[in-house]
Amino acid sequence: MEDCKQHHLAKNDSPEVLPSLIKVITAHEVAGFDAVKQPDDVNDRFKSNGFHSSDLPPKGTETVCVEGQNDLSNSQRMQFVSISMPPSPVGVHLHNAKRGVFEYDDRAIISNDIPRSAVASKNSRQTKFYSQPIPKGPVVNEAIASGKSPKDPGLPPKNPRIDVHKDKRFDSFKTWSGKLEGQISNLRGKHRETEVDLETQRPAEVEILPADRYFDALEGPELDTLRASEEILLPKDKKWPFLLRFPISSFGICLGVSSQAIMWKTLATSASTRFLHVNPNINLVLWCASLALVAIVSFIYCLKVIFYFEAVRREYYHPVRVNFFFAPWIALLFLALGVPPSVSQKLHQSLWYILMAPVFCLELKIYGQWMSGGQRRLSKVANPSSHLSIVGNFVGALLGASMGLKEGPMFLFAVGLAHYVVLFVTLYQRLPTNVTLPKELHPVFFLFVAAPSVASMAWARIQGSFDYGARIAYFIALFLYFSLAVRVNFFRGFRFSLAWWAYTFPMTGAAIATIRYSVVVTNIVTKSLTVVLCAVATLTVASVLVTTIIHAFVLGDLFPNDIAIAISESRPKPSVKWFHKRNASSDNKNGEKFLKCSNSEGKDIVAASVLKDVENSHSHKVLETLILPVIL
Amino acid sequence: MEQKESQVPQLKLLVLTISAKFHAGYFRISLSLCSQALLWKTLDEPSDDVHAFRQVLRLLPYAVFVLLWSLALLSLVSLSLIYLLRCFLHFEMVKNEFLHRVGVNYLFAPWISWLLLLQATPFFTAKTVHYFVLWWAFIVPILALDIKIYGQYFTKGKRLLSGTANPTSQLSVIGNLAGARAAAEMGWRESAICMFALGMTHYLVLFVTLYQRLKGSNSVPHMLRPVFFLFLAAPSMASLAWDSISGNFDSSSKMLFFLSLFLFLSLVCRPTLFKKSMKKFNVTWWAYSFPLTLMAIASTKYAQQVKNSTAHVLMLLLSAISVLVSLVLMVLTALNTNLLLPADDDHIQSHASPSCSLEIIV
Repeated sequence: MEDCKQHHLAKNDSPEVLPSLIKVITAHEVAGFDAVKQPDDVNDRFKSNGFHSSDLPPKGTETVCVEGQNDLSNSQRMQFVSISMPPSPVGVHLHNAKRGVFEYDDRAIISNDIPRSAVASKNSRQTKFYSQPIPKGPVVNEAIASGKSPKDPGLPPKNPRIDVHKDKRFDSFKTWSGKLEGQISNLRGKHRETEVDLETQRPAEVEILPADRYFDALEGPELDTLRASEEILLPKDKKWPFLLRFPISSFGICLGVSSQAIMWKTLATSASTRFLHVNPNINLVLWCASLALVAIVSFIYCLKVIFYFEAVRREYYHPVRVNFFFAPWIALLFLALGVPPSVSQKLHQSLWYILMAPVFCLELKIYGQWMSGGQRRLSKVANPSSHLSIVGNFVGALLGASMGLKEGPMFLFAVGLAHYVVLFVTLYQRLPTNVTLPKELHPVFFLFVAAPSVASMAWARIQGSFDYGARIAYFIALFLYFSLAVRVNFFRGFRFSLAWWAYTFPMTGAAIATIRYSVVVTNIVTKSLTVVLCAVATLTVASVLVTTIIHAFVLGDLFPNDIAIAISESRPKPSVKWFHKRNASSDNKNGEKFLKCSNSEGKDIVAASVLKDVENSHSHKVLETLILPVIL
Repeated sequence: MEQKESQVPQLKLLVLTISAKFHAGYFRISLSLCSQALLWKTLDEPSDDVHAFRQVLRLLPYAVFVLLWSLALLSLVSLSLIYLLRCFLHFEMVKNEFLHRVGVNYLFAPWISWLLLLQATPFFTAKTVHYFVLWWAFIVPILALDIKIYGQYFTKGKRLLSGTANPTSQLSVIGNLAGARAAAEMGWRESAICMFALGMTHYLVLFVTLYQRLKGSNSVPHMLRPVFFLFLAAPSMASLAWDSISGNFDSSSKMLFFLSLFLFLSLVCRPTLFKKSMKKFNVTWWAYSFPLTLMAIASTKYAQQVKNSTAHVLMLLLSAISVLVSLVLMVLTALNTNLLLPADDDHIQSHASPSCSLEIIV
């Protein structure tokens, strides 16, 4: 017992070893569960593995101990085959562990490439729960999990010893160019080897985070607030690198300012607003400012793509943020629309094709996902920000028509209109399966106004006159605007974020559409409406600007830690048992390869429907992998 | 004598077997062939399109087109006969098909084929009395099916749209639109607009429902994935119908054509969607050809309207693709006639219980 205790203590002090995440399990571990009793093995193991149960009577029912040991070792065997990150020293107890390995070899369960760390983990497993009862099967895994979590958070980033190398925590998000990998492995000491292994493995093994995972972990109108039960991969208390904190929704600033440039240009050049005597230089100033902004924001985001590609990937798979990937291109389209007459009178038509190509490709991807993707189908991911993916079509149509093209703008208009109808109906329905819609009103709802107002302008340009189709669209936009404006009281109390800039451009768009309408129908009502809407739009942009400046310089939290991209791949407290059992039954039913993604096991609340989804989804690939979740 | 006696029961058995295994999904073959005939007629007809490409196509001999039309007629007649036999001999199975959410939509397929064939006929024009009589003969079943099925969408508990909508539901829309086009060709503008309105309203509802992909409602089994191409067929047919109604290929028709073009690109960019269904030849593969052909016909009309080179290149490309696909399918069918009808054990299963009727459809 004494030497066992010593073993135990020794083990506790050593740093932790992290074997590879995914191992193949054979059928043995289930069959050989209450395995063979080999007393001689047991004794050896008893000594070498440092197992001792202070609770069990020492004289004990040798058989009880034996059984317990067997159960434990069997389940252990199961565990160290499957659990990714048990703590255990690699070298210290190898000589003890080796005997254990040889004993297990003839049972041939573990894959041979990781015997060391596996056994090492086995050792440490024992140290952790020597005082716990010895249950069987998956419950043991749960015990491990729960026993483990206070001691070992699971990821090196959470280990307090990492403070010394704190910038390493963000490496899992960094782009793995060959240089970086070499540099990092040089920088690390030997005792960090395994952590590097883990981290180098993580990007390769990180699969696409399904949309469900984002919905589980996050909440809020912009899906950026972490739920209480969730944990994130990066440290909460430290300020992350700037690039990691720079979300794609920053392109909203470009949208807001460039749409203002267009508005002032239209005010200066329209016949019906000549009474206002607007100075054309306002447009010039705003246009130059938005040009500068677009350049700066694009540059920073390019840096983020180069250095932190993983973070960009995660933003792409975020159900709300993915729509902001249209924002850079829409901003460029706005720039082309708002070009001051003094800079350029007529733009070349090829520019339109260049600008529309990325929008078109993104559209093909996103709309196709709506139609055929299991995880990302529209009824699940529809949210007001999805309007950004539709507006791009109308803005492109408007630009093309003002350049003189005919067929291309009509093509985009048709596509945008069809998908807008679908999105509009879906959002208006507020389906119960749609969790992304905020229960309370939030400025994001102003995006509802964007599509019809830009569509009306685009149709007017394509047809050459502000005809009935354009008027119908314009009146719809106006109605939505007013129905939101009278509810302005309900927009209080939300945390400011950079995405609010994106919500100002619909107001500006409605103002521009009003100007165009007033050119056709000129009377006192339309003129006053023009003035009012333009004033409101300008005021809104000004207040958002002031708020931004306050947050940037006074409060200093313009770019808070971007929690939304750092969610873990699985819930912190998975209920493995459920997943196991359900998997088995479904497997028997379907007889096809079952989707055992490490993400869906946590959803025991809606597990039945999720499993159905998982069965139905086409794009989610099967990982013939662990039963146990990756406990991060 | 003995030979004859033994032959008769054998023949009877053969007839029984074939009519049992047959189902409305086989009309995909006739849909494809009839739409091919219509494509060739459209390409061949005299038009004010002076573009070089179009003139080249007119060089093809008229006999080819008549031959194709006759082939389409033959296939349609034989398939209709088999289905008629099935109605007499295995009425239960026909009833099961009607109750199945995919099978019911294929009941429109024979009538659509007949309407397309009628529009493609080289033997009489649209203004004759034969056309008129035949149009009525084909429209009445479509209208009857419409009233039954569309009524069910929003009234009947078990067969609500949200539960039964799937890509093949667009066949009902296509049926209405085909009827509208045939009526417009005849000069009956009001009935044409009526059928068009009927088709488009339900198309709107269906489009939204299908795009939403409400949970569990419109997933199709892997073998039926080719029916996703029906997403292209409905807007193309709508654009053709509106073109006939309004007299020229105006903005609405153009927009519908563009929508179908976009959906085509979107599906073509997702080959993995169809991977599983392409493993073994089966009659569902014929589902690829009909929508492509409709799109080719619409592109022909579009090129005629717009008259620039890009449009004509597009027309040639789409026509080539549709002809190629149809040819390939014909060859594959000829080579794999044994695979056309499902195996015996499936038949026994399907005969036993109505719930297995899905296997029949596949």
